[in-house]
Amino acid sequence: MSEPKYKFLSTPRRPVEDRRFVAGRGKYVADLERPDMLHVAPLASHHAAAVINSIDGSKALAMPGVIDVITGDELAGAVQPLMNGLNTPNVRRFPLAVGRVRYAGEWVCAVVAESRAIAEDALENIIVDATPQPFVLDAEQALLDSSTPVHPEHGSNLLLDRKFVWGPVDEDFAAAAHSLSFSVTWGRNSTVPIETFGVIAEWNGWDQMLDIWASIQMPKYADQIARSLGLPGNAIRVHYDVDVGGSYGVKRGIKHSVLVGYVARKLGRAVRLIEDRLENMRAGDAHGPERKFDVAVAFDDDGTVRAMKMRALDNAGAYAGRAPFQLGKPISAIVGPYKINSVAYHALSVTTNKTVQEAVRGFGQAPTNYAIETAMDRVAEYLGMDRLALRQHNLIRADQFPYLIPSGSHYDSGDYHAVIDKVLAAADYPAMLAERDRLRADGMMAGIGIAACLEPSGGNSSFEPLLNESNKTSTWMESCQVNVDALGCVTARIHTTSSGQGHETLVSTILGEVLQINPELIRITRPNSLESLPGNSPVGSRMAIMLGGAAARAGEKLKAKIMAIAAHHLAVDVDQLRYESGDVIAPDGRSLVWDDMIELAHRQYHSLPDGMDPGLASFDIMQVPTGEALPADGKVQMYPCYAFEFHLVLVSFDPIIGRPDIHSYFIGHDCGTVINPAIVSGMTYGGIAHGIGAALFEEFAYDANGQLLTQSFLDYLMPSSHEVPAINIVKHCTPSPHTVFGQKGSGESGYLGSPAAVSGAINDAVAGLGIHFEKLPIRMSAISDAIAAKSS
Amino acid sequence: MKPVRFDYKRPATIDEACGLLVSDDNARILAGGQSLIPMLSMRLSRPSLLVDIAHIPELTSLVETETHIEIGAMVRQANARASAMVKVHLPLLFKALAFVGHPPTRARGTIGGSIAHADPSAEIALVAATLGAEIVYRVGGADEIFDASSFFIGPMLTLAPPAGCLTKLCFTKAPAICGTGFHEVAPRKSDYALASAAAQINAEVGLGVTGIYLGVGSVGDFPEPLDVDGLIGTSLDDAVIGDVVHAAMEAVETVEDLHASAAYRKRVATELAIRALRDARDEISKDLNQ
Repeated sequence: MSEPKYKFLSTPRRPVEDRRFVAGRGKYVADLERPDMLHVAPLASHHAAAVINSIDGSKALAMPGVIDVITGDELAGAVQPLMNGLNTPNVRRFPLAVGRVRYAGEWVCAVVAESRAIAEDALENIIVDATPQPFVLDAEQALLDSSTPVHPEHGSNLLLDRKFVWGPVDEDFAAAAHSLSFSVTWGRNSTVPIETFGVIAEWNGWDQMLDIWASIQMPKYADQIARSLGLPGNAIRVHYDVDVGGSYGVKRGIKHSVLVGYVARKLGRAVRLIEDRLENMRAGDAHGPERKFDVAVAFDDDGTVRAMKMRALDNAGAYAGRAPFQLGKPISAIVGPYKINSVAYHALSVTTNKTVQEAVRGFGQAPTNYAIETAMDRVAEYLGMDRLALRQHNLIRADQFPYLIPSGSHYDSGDYHAVIDKVLAAADYPAMLAERDRLRADGMMAGIGIAACLEPSGGNSSFEPLLNESNKTSTWMESCQVNVDALGCVTARIHTTSSGQGHETLVSTILGEVLQINPELIRITRPNSLESLPGNSPVGSRMAIMLGGAAARAGEKLKAKIMAIAAHHLAVDVDQLRYESGDVIAPDGRSLVWDDMIELAHRQYHSLPDGMDPGLASFDIMQVPTGEALPADGKVQMYPCYAFEFHLVLVSFDPIIGRPDIHSYFIGHDCGTVINPAIVSGMTYGGIAHGIGAALFEEFAYDANGQLLTQSFLDYLMPSSHEVPAINIVKHCTPSPHTVFGQKGSGESGYLGSPAAVSGAINDAVAGLGIHFEKLPIRMSAISDAIAAKSS
Repeated sequence: MKPVRFDYKRPATIDEACGLLVSDDNARILAGGQSLIPMLSMRLSRPSLLVDIAHIPELTSLVETETHIEIGAMVRQANARASAMVKVHLPLLFKALAFVGHPPTRARGTIGGSIAHADPSAEIALVAATLGAEIVYRVGGADEIFDASSFFIGPMLTLAPPAGCLTKLCFTKAPAICGTGFHEVAPRKSDYALASAAAQINAEVGLGVTGIYLGVGSVGDFPEPLDVDGLIGTSLDDAVIGDVVHAAMEAVETVEDLHASAAYRKRVATELAIRALRDARDEISKDLNQ
């Protein structure tokens, strides 16, 4: 047996964080008490659109325990609008509605009271006089000149309208033997964490400091609050030592935070706002993409897909924010894992009178993958070709990396065919086909779903300058600090909250690997934002690459200093020395052991090399690999790393009942070098469950009056352990050349392909009837109704 | 999600509970709380007084008489499911209880609470309506008895008397030869059903089939017993069952919502009713053919 490559990396180490979470000892925002804390409850709009004529809070204010009633007009005079990612200055967004409400559930005003219960009682005594206005819910309708703009000042509902042509699309379509087109729609869903968003803000006038504890996963959170409140950046102190009970993108809470920040400053008290489930669902401003795709593909008799035209129309909801950028990130992998020569991409984002959209796991990649994989299934169907063979024919080959796709990104590495072969072997594909046929013979509808897709990872924000030329952001760093104290113990600081990604495990494992110290002995702390180096938080599947990278580089800097001290102490050239588990050993056997090294660094300045600073500390601020340049000609190298996943799933259902039963689920997963296997597997299991929800159950659905129908878990159905089958993960490792250990991202794994795979399986089951399901989620009643319509 | 302010009382006897209900027009009974507590939190229910009947001993009894099983209103669904008496004498209810919520909600939820709440998809209400159980209310110091087959009149609407306290549910014991079937369909396990069906066939050696009961739930505003007496004396083969169920389902009105179309509910309720009857038939065919 060969020597293991790593001592701690890729070993089955138990995640550090699990201990406190499993024991119920996590520390969440709702666990925190501040002295004299006040509570906020927002009043939800009943109307999808209305002009606010007046708000009378006098009766509420007269109730015992009620401190204040805050309106949008008051806020608009005191704070700056929330950040807007696009050049749409007249799409202004404040924490509370100003002058008009733009979706049902939007916060009209807010009560501040001694308890949340009192605040909710007071809400019932606020009299709002509002005049209902025309509204628009459907994205295609919103595009029409005849529709009422959600923001009349903006003049239309169009937020983003960008056309890209990468490569000879027209020529490829003309030269191809065939073409086909179709439309599919990704329903509005999200990640819906167990813990809703919560924030506490506390103003200290003597220090001129706003302290904030929040359930946050957001880049530049403190900066945005400071800008909106008109405070210096160093007057906001965000405490990162708060556990976050789930997020996957949506825990932004910027409007909540600006609201309580304003109130805390106004009243000089600690103020808390924790969403209840209704507020989270209808007005947390955390819905995910709702996207209609019109796709055309050109292909040859042998199945070669030459070119693709994609129009993607996203329903952003009532305000802009960063949501339209979710049309930009998929440009990073716009051809999926396939050798498609040219692409035309038309990205459209519109406002509607629905809840505001926020970043969700994959930042738009999962919907796009669903459209691409549907195209592959349609081409196979058109040609009468096997769906698997078609994919294998079009996949980029292992010897073609780095592979430049038409939109300007190089895929770093991969061996897609090898992963698929492994999955087919593990799943016993011929037996799976036989099982499908057996189910069909028994009178069931049965189908196999196939999906191959990529997880762009190591996120930066290249999509911002790509979609908004006035934005010149190319920097998207992450940082880590390491200190070895006078007793020789290692402590690392990370500068963000975690929402279940296991960053403490990540950093301690990597530092342990670099320094060859048991990771269990390495302490990880999360200081507040004022004590932090710059970072961009866990978004874009980046932390294994970026925080892991910064930790490794900081560790290497520390090690270099250790080696320099040892070289001086042992009077040996540094190249001659060997580092082993904290000790430095000379060729002649003499050594400087860890404890003696600490003694030198911390207490014996006279023994250090000339000019060397005392102590043992280092830090690293790392830029995203390959993220050097701004876009040119509508092209950009976006993310540095591309993880691959391949889904194979067998589904069956009774033709009358229509309830899909997932018999077996296999996923081949290649995210390069795995740092902690349990964390990567956990991400993948959860991602697949999330994707099953998107495919079959979850939707923020509105009625014709613009009222959200799915405001609680009564109607917003997430898959439970009963609906998610056993998942078999088939692992493969193609290291990335761009990262310290060859790791790629895995935070979005599973979710990026499972909706496409489950949809593909259901469509395979009904293919014989000539049925295509073209919208997610595919509800059981829709399945049964479609079959009944064909039978009658 | 905080309830409006309310008073809370915990009476020790049924009459004390009834007195409290009389004292306040806006009083509500709290039983297992599995539906009421979320409704309070969402302010969909706004009582001024909650009368918690969990500590009234007579309401928790499960009694077998010569002809009936009497289930106290506060008997927890989990206890009913675990009861040998229910398993032996009320096989249809026994089957249905497995579909009620989840184990944690069945540990709190009660038989009477489910009946009084009258959700159109409630399994216990469907069984009671299908079998024509007696629903006993105490009101004004006397018992008032309702036939479950006509007790439910709309979603969350019943004939329950104002200021009455549901005390027990009386089911006729199943005969020695009895077949049952219960089916329901929901998007996820234990969700509110999109369609459900309950069937029971009673028989006696020598006489053959003596009674056939069928009901469908979750498809309209309330659980609905269907008249399938026409099946008595027939072969009960699949074709006959199919014809009779299709005919019986014709008049059933079904509702549409986000999760299922009205056509889906009708189609699936019909199918489930057929399957439930077939299950019941198959269970007794062995006994009858001895």
